[in-house]
Amino acid sequence: MSLIINDLTVKLYTDFKKKEFFNVADSVSFGVQNGEIIAVVGESGSGKSFLGLSLMRLNPPYISEISSGSILISDSGGFEKVDIVKLKENQLSGVRGRLISMIFQDPNVSLNPVIKIGEQIVEAILAHKKMKKKDACDVAIHYLELMRIDGKARFNSYPHELSGGMRQRVMIAMAMVLEPAVLVADEPTTALDVKTSLQVLALIEKMRFEKNVSVLFITHDLSIARNISDKTIVFYAGQIMEYGSTEDIINNPMHPYSISLTKSVHGLSKDYAPRERLFVIPGTLSQSDFKSGKCRFYNRCFKKTKECLNEIPLLKLSSGRFARCVNIQ
Amino acid sequence: MDNGKDSEVLSINKLSKHYSGYGSLFNFKKNIIKAVDNVSFNVYKGDIFSIVGETGCGKSTLSKLILGLTNRSSGEIFYKGNILNYNLKKLDLRKKIQIVFQDPYSSLNPKKKIYKIVSLPAIKNKIIKKKDALEHSMQMLKKVGLDENYVFKFPHELSGGQRQRISIARSLSVNPELLVLDEPVSALDVSVSAQILNLLLDLHEKNDLTYIFITHDLRLVRHMADKVCVMYGGKIMEISPVDKFFDGPLHPYSRVLLESILAYGPKNILQFADAGNININNINAATGIEKNNRGCVYYNLCSRREVQCIKNEPELKEYGDVQVNCFFPYYSSV
Repeated sequence: MSLIINDLTVKLYTDFKKKEFFNVADSVSFGVQNGEIIAVVGESGSGKSFLGLSLMRLNPPYISEISSGSILISDSGGFEKVDIVKLKENQLSGVRGRLISMIFQDPNVSLNPVIKIGEQIVEAILAHKKMKKKDACDVAIHYLELMRIDGKARFNSYPHELSGGMRQRVMIAMAMVLEPAVLVADEPTTALDVKTSLQVLALIEKMRFEKNVSVLFITHDLSIARNISDKTIVFYAGQIMEYGSTEDIINNPMHPYSISLTKSVHGLSKDYAPRERLFVIPGTLSQSDFKSGKCRFYNRCFKKTKECLNEIPLLKLSSGRFARCVNIQ
Repeated sequence: MDNGKDSEVLSINKLSKHYSGYGSLFNFKKNIIKAVDNVSFNVYKGDIFSIVGETGCGKSTLSKLILGLTNRSSGEIFYKGNILNYNLKKLDLRKKIQIVFQDPYSSLNPKKKIYKIVSLPAIKNKIIKKKDALEHSMQMLKKVGLDENYVFKFPHELSGGQRQRISIARSLSVNPELLVLDEPVSALDVSVSAQILNLLLDLHEKNDLTYIFITHDLRLVRHMADKVCVMYGGKIMEISPVDKFFDGPLHPYSRVLLESILAYGPKNILQFADAGNININNINAATGIEKNNRGCVYYNLCSRREVQCIKNEPELKEYGDVQVNCFFPYYSSV
């Protein structure tokens, strides 16, 4: 296991002075094996991006805090074990990028526009390793070439000279250059078109096989999750709703929310006739769902009963398959 | 719908749009980019005509040309038999063709209330008077399934799906006949995009609209469209009815596009690591082809290329009811 999240709870304050808050991640626990890709799927506003940020301790300070739980990261050899939650602020920069690193959604914003891409990568290497700048340049070029970018020619270009797909590949190169144990990918393909997004997915997959990195892949598109991941977590209102292998969850969803989600994606389930109206999940995800003591999907569920008004634990269905619902036969 | 199906709404004839850029400050040699090159097709009444292609293939430029937002370089656009020239006012074009933009966050004026946004096109086109604006926009909001109380809100108070409904309401406020949808759901969440697609289909049936549906997602095309038009490098590669296209497209590029929506497992996806994403200008520079060459634009990435493809430029040819821009299509004349 390279990443073990145990009972992680993250508070988000709506009013800091009055101490009003809700939990954007509510006792989340799961583990990621070495070289495994886990997809976190959910609607926007369900707290999945916040979960990804909390893993790096990048969650916004003052308005949010990790109130309990642990995030254990160990490198692939097992030489080093770190609990991210317990680290002090000045120790964090030694871990970010080296043990755990992140790719963001929009490559236009996450690269520095006035620094050449080669130098940005070299900067990341030199911050963690003692080596000559020349050697660091060679490493950077090597990683750019792994990402199918002509490293020598593109080393001195600025981000605006590259296309969107290329910029995202530079981001992956930068994230992978220190060979981290865990990579958090927060919707890396949403801003890209079909063909380039396939290539980016393929390169993440390739890194997994070659460098044995574990990936937490955050997305809202189930068809992308099917393309890339081994296991899927269906995330809703800060809680894990269903957990299992990707094939199972897409072909045979159990939780009412996963059922609704797979139904509302066109092209995923093939039983839609042309121009048939798609299934729509009624209502919206609101902030009050995060606070309620009942099942968080209660207001929008099509299977609700009286038992759903209690807090529902994550139940085991079969080996490696969990769901947070009491109405599953 | 069948009785009116044969009447053309929009017909485009050899339309081109060339942008010229300069290489550098002292390089006066013109570097012409053919964003849309020699495109012609017809859109019939009641159709959902979809244009597919990857980023940079010219589909958005084409939509701008149809709306008259940029000047064309050559070619003609006919709207119901009338030629569209730069004098747009004469034809009352804005009453007939409207557009829904991709990004609902940047296409609504953040300083105006919803009723002003929705009713402005109708007031400018003298369909309603200014005092009726409120009532008119309430009706429009009802049409797109929003609560009437939203008229006094500002765009920032609404969610992405609601904003997209507002921009649909705005474009419907002048009762258009043709609606250009420029990737209307790609900025939206999964369940929200299902709502918007349902709304668009409902409106299409009720109001007798014709859609030009621009997208890069072929799964959407299979669900919505009547006809598919595949573009690459500013040119049309294939125009085909939807059911035939998904049975097996004729152009090599369409095959590649169709492959990209098939389901892959984690291991099978590795083959796409080397997928070329070279744009036209790079191809020309890399292979030393003259800028004004006559070869096929898809030559470099094509799996079926031969010597003929680089010497001559293919043209749209009809194979049954499918039009293909290729010398060697996947077609057996049985």
